[in-house]
Amino acid sequence: MPAAGMAKRALEGIRIVELGPYVALPLTGRILASLGAEVIKVETNKVLDEMAFIPAWSKGAGQPDYQRHKKRITLDVRTDEGKDLLLRLLAVSDVFMTNFRRNILSRWGVDFPEVRAARPDIVIMWQTGLGGNGPYYTYKSFGILVQHMSGVSLMSGSPGSPPVAVNTSYSDYHTGVFQPTAIIAALMRRGMHGKTATMESSIFRSGAVTAGPAILDYQLNNRLPERRDNRDSSAAPHGVYRCQGDDRYCAISVEGDEQWAAFCHVLGNPAWTQELRFSTAFARLNNQDELDRMVGEWTIQLTSKKVMDTLQQAGVPASIVSQGQDLHDSEHLKARDFYRETNYYVAERGTHASQWDEGPSLSWSMPFNMSKTPVEFGNYSNIGEDNSYVFGDLLGLSPTEIARLSEREVIY
Amino acid sequence: MPSPIPYGDNLIAPYRVLDLTDYKGVFCTKIMADYGADVVRIEPPLGDPGRSKGPFPNDEPGVESSTYFLFYNTNKRSITLNLETDLGQTIFKRLATKADVVVESLAIGYLKSLGLDYESLSGSNPGLVMASISPFGQTGPWKDLKSSDLIAMAASGYMQITGEPDQPPVRQGNEQSHFPGAQYAAVAIMAALYHRDMLSGEGQYIDVSQQEALITFYTDAHPALAWMQMEQNVTRVGTNSTLVIPLGAYPCQDGWISAGVITPREWDSLAQWIYEVTGNDEILNEKYKGGNQERAPHMDVITALFLEFSARFTADELFHQGQKRNLVFLPVNDVSDLLHDTQLDASHLWTELNHDQTGVLKYPLGIFDSEDFAPAQSAAPSLGQDNQSIYEGELGLTAQEMAGLRSARVI
Repeated sequence: MPAAGMAKRALEGIRIVELGPYVALPLTGRILASLGAEVIKVETNKVLDEMAFIPAWSKGAGQPDYQRHKKRITLDVRTDEGKDLLLRLLAVSDVFMTNFRRNILSRWGVDFPEVRAARPDIVIMWQTGLGGNGPYYTYKSFGILVQHMSGVSLMSGSPGSPPVAVNTSYSDYHTGVFQPTAIIAALMRRGMHGKTATMESSIFRSGAVTAGPAILDYQLNNRLPERRDNRDSSAAPHGVYRCQGDDRYCAISVEGDEQWAAFCHVLGNPAWTQELRFSTAFARLNNQDELDRMVGEWTIQLTSKKVMDTLQQAGVPASIVSQGQDLHDSEHLKARDFYRETNYYVAERGTHASQWDEGPSLSWSMPFNMSKTPVEFGNYSNIGEDNSYVFGDLLGLSPTEIARLSEREVIY
Repeated sequence: MPSPIPYGDNLIAPYRVLDLTDYKGVFCTKIMADYGADVVRIEPPLGDPGRSKGPFPNDEPGVESSTYFLFYNTNKRSITLNLETDLGQTIFKRLATKADVVVESLAIGYLKSLGLDYESLSGSNPGLVMASISPFGQTGPWKDLKSSDLIAMAASGYMQITGEPDQPPVRQGNEQSHFPGAQYAAVAIMAALYHRDMLSGEGQYIDVSQQEALITFYTDAHPALAWMQMEQNVTRVGTNSTLVIPLGAYPCQDGWISAGVITPREWDSLAQWIYEVTGNDEILNEKYKGGNQERAPHMDVITALFLEFSARFTADELFHQGQKRNLVFLPVNDVSDLLHDTQLDASHLWTELNHDQTGVLKYPLGIFDSEDFAPAQSAAPSLGQDNQSIYEGELGLTAQEMAGLRSARVI
């Protein structure tokens, strides 16, 4: 054990092998890397991750969000020599995480029994879409659609409206951020309890665990949750209100009589705010349509920023509905050093990553700070950029051997 | 090697966690408790505000029966303590001396005003890990702003991309802002405990921003990046994607089906199926074949053909037959569907917990499925149920002292 205060990375000394594409698994790898683990991502130029071509207008500019600070190697694990090298790498690693199906891993010779034979105490995180046990095991899914499957979309919007989904791979993020907790816990358990773990996560279950009190309400009262749009069961006004400018809105939530009084004061206590129909929280809830109309008549005269600032100064919860430019230019996020500049590589189908052009992009740092082991933003490697470190320094292959395996498209 | 710790069937060691969270952090301590940590919820003598939040059984409010409290506090213990009294603060400091973790989501500076911030507590317990989860983080010009579930969704930009085009932004329901910040906090706390117990022996302070956590949960919409590279603000597109066609939720005979087609092969399979069902050979037109870039200009035609097809099936038929044809068709579930889903059952999502106010209910605790550990098995605590074991058993207070604390309304 190093002397106190020596290790400046929370997960110093942990080596993790990541095998698999998309969002959830790579996000887990990036989080663990930012905490100081050495994360080695295994890819091949022969089958590129579809995420390398997103966003469509700047292919690959989004990859730093998921792949930063990793050691990226190319290895075709479908070949015999590739499989052997992966097992050699796993033999000197602490964690194996993958989102390939067991039958595919088995075909390649890197299913969990083979992995355990190479490294008996390795921690295994197997990420699935719908769950490794059960009737849908072979079914395919996407994170963006699992919002619908896990119950969230029918709890959003208003009664009778179509299911409401966020236009992103929403459910993947739940899984991506659940997994690091369990991996770190399993490493501690291995260290202190002497027992390793194999665990399976699923994007479906990750969404379903957030279904929340509605699950209990249904069992107790046999009813489905009310779809409230932006409204609340006990507070009003509570919603988004149109402001000056193109597509600009401000969210306002007034909770309790004190905030209502402060809200009225900001508006200059116009006569309508003193009417009986808005005098209590109960009355405001019962007259919400009218209340929202009156509030909207005030907000439309102002910018969303002005509405937010004046209400917040009076202690009333309010926020602009942030747009991309607001986030990009935010003085608050700048003060916290949240968005940072990064390089990226412009992916081109049918070409080798080493030929891709480099360009400037933007990525976020972790949404938390740690006082003694600062999270690391790290660098952004291109696919295969760390081959000589991993195959040479770590596994002891000679440059000639690496060249031979590259020629044979094993390290490729 | 550290001495063996009584793990039992748990994933996380029974670390003592003092829980001072509200909606911003209550799910963080829940994850830790469900997987083995000894989480003690510190409640004001009249109870955590979460206890007064519905729904309730038969809509009859009761301090022990809020489904909100029951859901978010599984496997925790409860003590009452008034932190606004001198004695309450002294007792909290004694508890913190022996704790592994403190998690709080109070207003910025509030604990400092009570002399209970990290600087004060870590003096007598250098191994303490303390995490604060706040709407905008502990620093920066927005740090003191007031928030709520709705405000968090708006400030992060989530709402900007949720809802129909030309309609106001919509928040995700079910108070989804509970989750991202809390999940990241759990990661950071476990990392800090790893650093303390496996490497350095020292604790530390963690600052989690709910706004930043929410931003990372919709990263692939790239709002800030789109502004940087194109000076465009991404906005709402409705339930169905405009980039991938078809992708979204579509009406069918008995409700909704969600479907997504990405690869050329998936398109061929879908087009063939639609043709078989509708007899309309327009869907086989060469110009729709290939990737999304080929289909994107024809969104309206393709969507209309798809709707003509989906209306002839139930959701269940589309789900299973679609998957057999190698297509990503998934049901649009409500919570009753989740409770009856055979897959969730088979992959051990549910744990049955008994609570005297509700009887046995199924809780979704199984984030991870493993033969090596399982979620813990206790329902949420009643108010102050652990006062005696912690105050008398651990701090050594006498029955007389306890009575004094009660009459002074400290506990």
